[in-house]
Amino acid sequence: MNYLLSGGAKNGKSMLAQNIVKSMQPDRPIYYLATMIPHDGEDRARIARHLRDRDGWGFTTIECGRHILRALDMADANGAFLLDSVTALLANEMFLPGGAPDEAAPARVADELAEFAARTGHTVFVSDFIYADAGIYDDWTERYRAGLAYADRRLAQICAGVAELCAGNVLWYKGGWPA
Amino acid sequence: MELIIGGAYQGKRAYAEKTYGLANGDVFTCAGASLQTGCRCVEHLERYTLACVQVGLDPAEATDVDALEDKILICDDISCGVVPIDPIERAWREQTGRLLTKLSGRASRVVRVFCGLPLELKG
Repeated sequence: MNYLLSGGAKNGKSMLAQNIVKSMQPDRPIYYLATMIPHDGEDRARIARHLRDRDGWGFTTIECGRHILRALDMADANGAFLLDSVTALLANEMFLPGGAPDEAAPARVADELAEFAARTGHTVFVSDFIYADAGIYDDWTERYRAGLAYADRRLAQICAGVAELCAGNVLWYKGGWPA
Repeated sequence: MELIIGGAYQGKRAYAEKTYGLANGDVFTCAGASLQTGCRCVEHLERYTLACVQVGLDPAEATDVDALEDKILICDDISCGVVPIDPIERAWREQTGRLLTKLSGRASRVVRVFCGLPLELKG
């Protein structure tokens, strides 16, 4: 069963995602798909903290900031996967350092994520709800927001479980999880 | 009155079209500080409220809510995030919230759309 978890920052998305994937473990290996490409010491410190948080959970970490399907070359597709996050993955694909923004990235990323879900069947996708503020953004930021929402909606269609996290509380829009 | 709210790009209009069998001509897309009430559905109310604020009108007070009695209304939720520094954006955010609260009170049904999935808040 695939899941999509979204919501604001620091509301418990990653912890619920880890628990759902952990619950799938008895039958399969579990993988953490790390999508952040570190750019400075702050990023590296954040990654080190996340690695410590997951220490002892049994995750194999796969660094995959772009081309998410390539992660399956390094993993057993019958495993369970935590993809954290769709937000970072799309940013990496859309805004390449030194290049022009890639307008085609949202459709391509959404297709790849849908294929990833279909091939694994046991993936928890974590995204971020960045759609409800009163900001008026520049054109590319707005396209990025629209693109991320497109990927979210595609995932929400195909995932059996879809939830919004709010201050650690879980609001299920589709399906559910027993714990 | 039925009110559909949610974040930007969440699939609110697609939900309304499917749920109420709306065709293109049934939907008025707000673009300025006036509302055309000849259509069954009025979308992007947040653009109307922004246009109102930009010309010095308070949409929470100036809007003829009675004229929207039998409408399907769609609006982006712009209430989260940091308080905007720009006074127009700040007034926009506040007055949109006040108008939506008023409309929610009048509506027989209120739905929030999240990633294309509806959650009934009232009805």
